[in-house]
Amino acid sequence: MERKDIISLIIIFMFGALIMGLLSLGVWQGAKFRRLSDSNCIRLISQFGSRGNILDRNGEIIVGNKISYDVMILPQDLSHIDQALVLIGRILNLEVKELKLAFKKNFISSSVPVTVATNIKLKDAILLGEHKVEQPSIIVDPKPLRYYPYGALACHVVGYVNEIDRWRLTKLEDYGYKTKDIVGFGGVEEKYDYYLRQEEGGLSVEVNHRGKFMRVLGFQPPRNGKDVTLTIDLSMQKIVEENLSGRKGSVILMDSLNGEILALANFPNFNPSIFVNQRNKLISGLLNDANAPFLNRAIGSSYPPASVFKMVLAAAGLELKKINTSTSFVCQGSTMVGARRFNCWDVHGVQDVFQAIAHSCDVFFYKTGLLVGAQNIHDYALKLGFGRNVGFELSGETSGFIPSPLWRKINKFQNWFDGDTANLSIGQGDCLVTPLQATNMLAVFANRGYLLNPYIVKAVGGLDFSVKKKRLTPVPFKKNTFEVIAKGLVKVVSDPKGTGNVLSALPIKVAGKTGTAQVSRGATHAWFLGFFPVDKPKYVICVFLENGGSGHAASVIAKQIIEAMNNQGLLEAKVI
Amino acid sequence: MRNSFFRILLLAILIACLGVLSIYSSTFQKEGTQWQEIYKRQILWLVIGLVSFYFISRFNYRKLWDANYFIYGVAIFFLLLVFSLGVTRLGAQRWLKFAWFNFQPSEFAKLAIIIFLARYFSRKSIDDISLLSAKFGIFKGIILPFIFVAIPMFLIIEQPDLGSGLMLMLVFVGLLYLTNVRLKYIFTLLITLILPLPFLWNFLHDYQKQRLLVFLNPNIDPLGAGYTIIQSRIAIGSGGFFGRGWLRGSQSQLYFLPESHTDFIFATFSEQWGFLGSSLLILAYYLIIRQGFVIAQKAGDSFGRLLAYGISLLLALQVFINIAMNMGLAPVVGLPLPIMSYGGSSVLVTFIALGILVNIDRTRNVF
Repeated sequence: MERKDIISLIIIFMFGALIMGLLSLGVWQGAKFRRLSDSNCIRLISQFGSRGNILDRNGEIIVGNKISYDVMILPQDLSHIDQALVLIGRILNLEVKELKLAFKKNFISSSVPVTVATNIKLKDAILLGEHKVEQPSIIVDPKPLRYYPYGALACHVVGYVNEIDRWRLTKLEDYGYKTKDIVGFGGVEEKYDYYLRQEEGGLSVEVNHRGKFMRVLGFQPPRNGKDVTLTIDLSMQKIVEENLSGRKGSVILMDSLNGEILALANFPNFNPSIFVNQRNKLISGLLNDANAPFLNRAIGSSYPPASVFKMVLAAAGLELKKINTSTSFVCQGSTMVGARRFNCWDVHGVQDVFQAIAHSCDVFFYKTGLLVGAQNIHDYALKLGFGRNVGFELSGETSGFIPSPLWRKINKFQNWFDGDTANLSIGQGDCLVTPLQATNMLAVFANRGYLLNPYIVKAVGGLDFSVKKKRLTPVPFKKNTFEVIAKGLVKVVSDPKGTGNVLSALPIKVAGKTGTAQVSRGATHAWFLGFFPVDKPKYVICVFLENGGSGHAASVIAKQIIEAMNNQGLLEAKVI
Repeated sequence: MRNSFFRILLLAILIACLGVLSIYSSTFQKEGTQWQEIYKRQILWLVIGLVSFYFISRFNYRKLWDANYFIYGVAIFFLLLVFSLGVTRLGAQRWLKFAWFNFQPSEFAKLAIIIFLARYFSRKSIDDISLLSAKFGIFKGIILPFIFVAIPMFLIIEQPDLGSGLMLMLVFVGLLYLTNVRLKYIFTLLITLILPLPFLWNFLHDYQKQRLLVFLNPNIDPLGAGYTIIQSRIAIGSGGFFGRGWLRGSQSQLYFLPESHTDFIFATFSEQWGFLGSSLLILAYYLIIRQGFVIAQKAGDSFGRLLAYGISLLLALQVFINIAMNMGLAPVVGLPLPIMSYGGSSVLVTFIALGILVNIDRTRNVF
C-alpha cells in the first residue's frame, strides 16, 4: 500500500472514531446526559409549610412555630466561598474554622445550597441580607421552626421534634418521609406526626450557570400541617406543673365523666426546644440522666399501688358479699397470717369498711383479702382497669401487673400462700400499676360505675372527634358498692383522723385515698388519688411522688393544686 | 474544472452557516451588545474569507514557491511580535491587536509552515529533475526541516499554545511520511520526540498539566479544570439522536458550557442538532478533506501535491482534535474548529487554505 493510502485510511479511521464517540455520548448515554443537563439548569427551591400547632382545649397554643433564619451558601463559585464565610463569621460572631467545617460536612453538590449556620437572629439575617450584592452566593433562608412558648410545659404530652432517625425512616419511607425530615419523637408529636406534618412545596425554576433565575417551570404551594387540639387545659396544666416542680413523680388531672385528660405532668422534665436549637451537649446530658427526664411516668412506668389498691379489696369484698357495711374487724396493730405477723401502720381498734378506708387500716384489708381470695382480688383489679393497657393514645404505655396464684404456678412454679394474698390486699408484693391506671380506677368510683377511656387529643385540624374517643365501659358492680366506697373516700378527707384530712381545709369538698408504697430501696412512693367536688364529681386527680415519702406529702400537693384551681376560678366555671 | 471549486465552496458555506447559527444560539441571550453582535462579526469574517477564497483560487499557487521565504519570515516576525505586543486573553498571549480586530499569528504560521515544507521537499535536482528529497540523508531529510518547523513551533508553544504547536508537529510528521523520506529516519525522529516527553512534563505550565490530568479523569476537579469537559460531554450527550432544537439547548444557552462559541462550538451544535446533525457535520468536514486528498493525488507537481496534502492534513487534524476534545476523547487544548468556531484569523486562514487547494486543482487543469 502506498503511503498516501495509509494516511487516507488513518483519516477515515479518525473520523469513524468521532462518529462512534458521538454515538456513545448522544445515543447510548443520551438519557443519562439529558438528566445531568436537567439537573444543571433545573433547581427546586423548596418552600416550607409550617408544622401544625398543638393547642389546648380552649385553643391556646401550647406548641407553635416561629420563623427562623438559616444561612446557606451556593457553592457554584468556589473562589468566593472563603470570603463569604469570613463575612458570615464576622456578622454572626462565629469562628470561620467552624463554618468551614459545617460547609464541608453539609456539601452535597455544587448546585445545592449548603447550610452553614442555622437559627440565626433576625437582626443578623437582615445584616446578611444587606450584603447580598457583594456576596450573591449567601442565601438567608427563612423557615418555620418549632416554638415552645411555655418551655417545658407538658413536654411529655407533646414530645419533641428532631431529624428523622434511621429506624423511623425505614418504617415511614412508604408514607413519603425522606431523610433529614423533621419528625415528632414521643408524645402527640410522634403519634399525630402524619397530621401535624407539613407538606413541602416549592418552585422548580430554570437557572443559568451562575444560578441566576431564568424562568419558572412549575410551582407547588406548600401545605401547613393540621393543628391538633388537646384536652389539656393550659391554666390547669400550669398549676399542676408549678406544684409538682422539683419533685420526682407525676400528676394527672382527668375529667371523671368522659376521660378527658385536663392536665398531665411529670417531673423531671425537659425543654423540647433544645432539639430545635440542636444543643447537643444538653441533649446528651438529659439522655444520660439517671432520673430519666424523657420518661412519661404517668403512663410509662408502674409502681406498687399500696393503699390505693384497697378500693379494689373493698369492692371485691362487697360484691362477693364477704363483707358488708356492718362487718367490722379489730385492728390491734398487727394480725397473724399463717405463722407470720402482718403489721398495720397504726393501732385502729374496731374498724368497719368506711373507717378502714378512711384510716387506711391494713388489718381490715388483710382479713378482707383472705376472705375474698387472691384470684378474686386479681379479677376485680382487672375489672377496674389494672393489669392491662388503658389504651392511651400516647406511646410508651406499660400495662402494670397484678399477680395471681395461677400466674405464679404457671410462670414461677411456686405456690401461692396466704401471706401473698395479705401482701396483695394492701397493694404490695408484685403488684404494679401506672398512675394513669390508678386515676382511671378512681374515676369509676367518682362517676359511680363507668370505666373510662382516657384520651388527650380532642380534635385534629378542627375536626372534633371527642365523641368517638369518649367510651364508657360500665363496671358491673352493685350501685351500693360504689356508694359505700365513695362514702369511705369522702371520710378519708372529712374524718379528723382520715389520712387525707389536710384536704378538708379546702372550700371544696374532696374525696380521695392516700397511699404509701414500700419499695425495696429508697424512700416510699407517695400516692394521692382524689375526686372533687364530692356532690357532683367532675375531676379526678392523681398525685404520685416517686420516693416522695408518705401519702401525706402527695395529699399536700393535691391540696395546693386544688386550692390554686379554686383561687383562679377554674372550678366554678366548669362545675354547675 | 469547476467541480472542486463548487464542491468545496458549498461544503464550506454549509459549515459556516451552521457555525453562525451556533454562535448566535450561544450568545444571543448574553448581556452586552458586543455579545449580541458577535454573530454579525463572524458573518463579516466569513464574507472576507469567501472573497479571499475566490481570489486565492484564481491566484497561481506556484507564486507561493517564490514567496516561500518571505511568507516564512513574516510568520516568524508576527510570532515574535506577539511576544512583545500581544494581547493576553484567557491567560494566553496569542493575539495581535489591529484596528478593529485581533489577529492570531499562529493560525497564519500553520499555513506558512506547510507552504515552507511543501517547497522544501519538492526541490528538484538540477541534473535529472528528480526530487531531491529521495536522496536526503538524515540531516537534510529530518534535522534541517525540523529546525525550520521547530522555531515557529517553539514560539507558538511559548504563547502558550501547546495544542497548535503539537498539531504542527503532527502535520510535519505526516508530511514527512508523504514525501520520499525514508521510514527509518521518520521513526528516528518519532523516537527522539517521544523519549524526552516524561522530562518535558516539568516544563509544562500548571494549567497544561492539569488539563492532561483532567483528560484522564475529569472528575478530579469537577469545578475547575474538569468543568469544561464535563459540561461539554453533557451538552453533546443531552442532544440525543435528534438534538434539542435550535436555541433550545440548556447547556449552551444558559452558559453552563464555557467557550461555547469558540473552541466548544461543536458541543453547542451537537446539543441542538443531536447525533444526526453532528454526524452530518463531521461528514461535511470529511468530504472537504477527501476532496483535498483527491486534489493532492491529481496534482501535477510535487509542490502542489505536498501543499494539498499538508492543507488536508492540517484541516483533518484540527477538526479531529477539536471534536475529540469536545467529546472528552482528547485533552483540552486551544484549537478552534475550522470555519465553525468564532474567530477571524481561523476563518480567514482556513478559507485561504481552501482557496489554495482549489487553485492547485484548477492550475493542473490549465496545463
